[in-house]
Amino acid sequence: MLLSMHWLRDYLQKSDIKIDTKELADQLTMRGIHVSAIRKPHVKYENIVVGRIEQIEKHPDADKLQVTQVVTEEGPNAPKRQIVCGAKNISVGDIVPIALPGAHLPAVNLDIKISKIRGVESSGMICSAKELGISDESEGILQLPKHNSHPGQPLSALLGGGSDDQVLEFELTPNRGDCLSVTGLAREICPLIKTKMRDPKVAKFRVTPHRTSSILKVEVEDQRLCPRYVARVIDAMKVAESPEWIKQRIEAIGLKPINNIVDVTNFVMFECGQPLHAFDLKKISSGVVRVAPCTSEMEFTLLNGQTVTLIPGDILIWNGDKPIALAGIMGGQDSQVTADTTSILLESAAFLPTQIRKTAKRLGLTSDASKRFEKGIDLVGVALASERAASLIRDMINANVYHPPIDTREDGIKEETISVDMREIRKLIGHKSMTTESAAELLETIGITSTKKSINILTVKLPSFRPDLKSQVDMVEEVARLNGYDKIPSHLPISVASYDKLDESQFEFELKAKNILSGLGFHETIHYSFISEEWFRKYGIDSSRSVPLQNPLSDEMKVLRTSLLPSLLETYSYNKNRKAKNQKIFEVARTYVSDPDSETKVKETPEVAALLSGNMTSQSWRGGETPVDFYTAKGVLEVLIGQMTSVFPTFEPVQNSVLFHPNRSATIKLGLKEIGTVGEIHPFIKSSVLDTIEPVVFFTLNLEALKKYERAGVVKYRTLSKFPGVELDLALVIDKHTNSSALMDNMKHVAGPLLVDLYPFDQYEGDNIPQGKKSLAYHLTLQSPERTLLDTEVVEIRTKVIQALKEKFNADLRG
Amino acid sequence: MIENLDRIKQEARTQIVNCPSRDELEKLRVHYVGKKGVITALLHSLKDLEADKRREMGARLNQIKQEFEKELGLKQSELDRKEIEKELSGSSKIDLTLPGLFSVQKGSLHPVTRVMEEIIKTFRKIGFSVASGPEVELEYYNFEALNTPEDHPARDLQDTFYIRAPSLLRSHTSPVQIRTMKSKNPPIQVIAPGKVYRSDYDITHTPMFHQVEGLMVDEHLSLADLKGVLQYMVKELFGERKLRFRPSFFPFTEPSAEVDMACIGCKGQGEDCRLCKGTGWLEIGGSGMVHPNVFKSVGYDPDKYSGFAFGMGIERIAMLKYGIDDLRSFFENDLRMLEQF
Repeated sequence: MLLSMHWLRDYLQKSDIKIDTKELADQLTMRGIHVSAIRKPHVKYENIVVGRIEQIEKHPDADKLQVTQVVTEEGPNAPKRQIVCGAKNISVGDIVPIALPGAHLPAVNLDIKISKIRGVESSGMICSAKELGISDESEGILQLPKHNSHPGQPLSALLGGGSDDQVLEFELTPNRGDCLSVTGLAREICPLIKTKMRDPKVAKFRVTPHRTSSILKVEVEDQRLCPRYVARVIDAMKVAESPEWIKQRIEAIGLKPINNIVDVTNFVMFECGQPLHAFDLKKISSGVVRVAPCTSEMEFTLLNGQTVTLIPGDILIWNGDKPIALAGIMGGQDSQVTADTTSILLESAAFLPTQIRKTAKRLGLTSDASKRFEKGIDLVGVALASERAASLIRDMINANVYHPPIDTREDGIKEETISVDMREIRKLIGHKSMTTESAAELLETIGITSTKKSINILTVKLPSFRPDLKSQVDMVEEVARLNGYDKIPSHLPISVASYDKLDESQFEFELKAKNILSGLGFHETIHYSFISEEWFRKYGIDSSRSVPLQNPLSDEMKVLRTSLLPSLLETYSYNKNRKAKNQKIFEVARTYVSDPDSETKVKETPEVAALLSGNMTSQSWRGGETPVDFYTAKGVLEVLIGQMTSVFPTFEPVQNSVLFHPNRSATIKLGLKEIGTVGEIHPFIKSSVLDTIEPVVFFTLNLEALKKYERAGVVKYRTLSKFPGVELDLALVIDKHTNSSALMDNMKHVAGPLLVDLYPFDQYEGDNIPQGKKSLAYHLTLQSPERTLLDTEVVEIRTKVIQALKEKFNADLRG
Repeated sequence: MIENLDRIKQEARTQIVNCPSRDELEKLRVHYVGKKGVITALLHSLKDLEADKRREMGARLNQIKQEFEKELGLKQSELDRKEIEKELSGSSKIDLTLPGLFSVQKGSLHPVTRVMEEIIKTFRKIGFSVASGPEVELEYYNFEALNTPEDHPARDLQDTFYIRAPSLLRSHTSPVQIRTMKSKNPPIQVIAPGKVYRSDYDITHTPMFHQVEGLMVDEHLSLADLKGVLQYMVKELFGERKLRFRPSFFPFTEPSAEVDMACIGCKGQGEDCRLCKGTGWLEIGGSGMVHPNVFKSVGYDPDKYSGFAFGMGIERIAMLKYGIDDLRSFFENDLRMLEQF
């Protein structure tokens, strides 16, 4: 909404009162009517400046074109601007209007851009009077006076359009439809600038011999859809240009004058907030104007020439059985006012806001009118706006106004009252001393009347011009707002959280993962939750349970992620292209898969994923870089799991993966449940998608599954043994494909609780080891918490272990 | 000789303290406490004395011997140290300015996480707990229960990402208010951080961003409490700074207020300040008193309870705090940006 300060003054009793616009804007903002900018009135010739032609040459490839060099700045060193021009009436030294790139020429509907005309760059346009909308004829380039102009001067300064008016730009909240009009804003402004409001002038119409009802009938099928309809006939009129003062008002807020009828309906809409529509009376052949919803799907051509499909529910205005307007949104082509119109039906009405909104949104036809109807309009004002428009039209062109109009609510609109308990106001706004009288006074300043019913109860009349005010809490806000939020005290409440505590552990758990990984040198990333459908194929990720958005912004953000990996891989490529080396990145976020059993039909799982590339650390001055591999990723994973939980997952080869290396990646399992994957990216994906030869390794982990084994609070302390342990090494020769974990499990099982530490310290294949075999060496520590172990005990355990390994794995001791 | 004990002691100490080398020190050791040394000789000389006297003198001599050994030990270690220092002074020095070498290098937390953490810590200090909820929500929690009926502008398909009605991507963290109140009885004091989604993508909007929601419900809470809590938060995050509460509209709060902080770029003075566009104020979030209809939808008695709620964008706060100028850079994950945190 834009408000011209000149226009505002039309409704002030003291119209010449001094107003500090900046201060007023601040005051309005602090009352919830947010002024987002203070501007000059709409400038007619924006981005159009005065220029001087310095040079003219023939266009190399077009006979009728010339290439000019112009200056559009003052001074001896002003840069030259090259513009291609087709007009003949130019010569060097001419002062001409130049439309710069960015300018819009509404008269010829042209946006000026830097472009190439037949291969020659042109950065602007030298304009004719027609192109500027000054004249209808084109007599070549408009020549400007040389004596009082200079290059760079805005054209508006030369041709007028200068004004001392100021325009306030509002960013209104959706509840304040009443402020979508000058009078609505004046109601809020008057108490701030200490003057009273003056209502728009309405003529006293005498009852004419021809009443509207003698020509027409209005039928409203459902008052819920159309709470009020005022129809008025105006005849003996002529469509013409509007008077200057109306043009000035609507131009100041950026509207284009069209003709007296359209201009008046626009003027009244912005003045009173009531959208109006004028039908050519001749086109309402049936003599019946009907307001009724569309009953079956149909095509309808609007006055802008667009044909739309209407569906049942859309509210229509009918001429008998033929629709003539899409109620509250736009009139039809067939019934619109044309240059030949001599009589009109002026419609002022209210329609069901929710339906107007629905229809306008569906058809993409949000208009100044629909915006007002959607927010609800003043039912009392419906009749006033009709009279105001009729008065203006009559004064302008001496037309014949029928009076009275047809009004579907002739009985009048009853304004309801509600009781407001002052104790509730004091409680909610924390303003203990607010009295019933002072609340009533505050409401009175914006025209809300009330009476004191008892010491704490105020009976408030709900004003028709504020359809947003319906309940007690609305009045609480109104009083708080008018009193000023800045007058509300400020203090910290007494904390209440201690006795019904929330489970914050999932949040803590995820945060801990982030802290551990960033501590291990990883950089945290955050990606959009939606990815391209294409990525599923690109990275070979199962999409069978993926969840697409119904209304995605683009194909790139279409499907919810089922894995965090593709995003990390994309970021890897992004940073690699920017010369990043040895990347270590991670993300903690949710993944989403469809799940019919979930409340929302989508299962969200918090996960962590990390990616490493290149070497363990960035290039060292000492040399000796270690490339990352499966064991690097697994190492990070083990630190993470070890710090966060007290479990030891198992690792099994991945099956049939497009993305993961077949031999160098593992599924991470806790019991039977898969909780993640760790390993190296498949060489084919690396070469074909990532375009890299350096190692790229990763892991992903399900943090929800892992959380069940959280370490916090479950650590069980083992008393330190006071007796010495016995350490021994076993170097085994076994089949190459034997897994270390199987050997270790077996050793633990056989040795029993006296085996307190066990780890592999060497793996070897090659010389001295038979083909198909490998050597794995283990370090064992045996210790009792109760006594010093006897040599015989140790030997016995060692023999049992070796025996068992031999039996189960055919393991030999390495000689 | 016994009579000269004090003198011997004095002399020996002087000699040990002034001893210049390890060889000399060894000679002194032999001389005083060696097998044929002074103390041993004196001990031998005691055999002629009476038993009482002998015991007394013996103890005294042993004490002196121990003292000598201690002094010799101290001197020995002093001379050893000197020896090593001498060797080190001749050896080459390393370049202390070369970077350190360790298998772990500096990592980072995303600026959004950092700010989120800071905000959460701030609120926890005054008794708030962290609540969470799903990102894929039902229309009921995202809208209806929040007093946002079907025809409200916020329900437009253009603003909210739908999965398939009634499932959608939550457009704010406010549904967590509903879920929390439905699962707990008042009083309530929670903050809910998380991702939210809106179908909007331009220089100042990304289709996903982060919010922190706050909710406190008890008997007798008022706008004054809301003001106090947010004033406290801003002070913790940005230092002492003026706040203003501006009437606004949200379907789920009434009275509602937009919260502005005095601009940190121009201290509220700047005509040409790019940060606040000359207004002197920066919007940091929305807030208000919980609407009675919201209480009704979760089964709380609006006549008995009152409460306040607030919400703010984390990226917005991070931009102000760190001087990040492009919202979209939060999700580009350019390492050159991330490494700065």
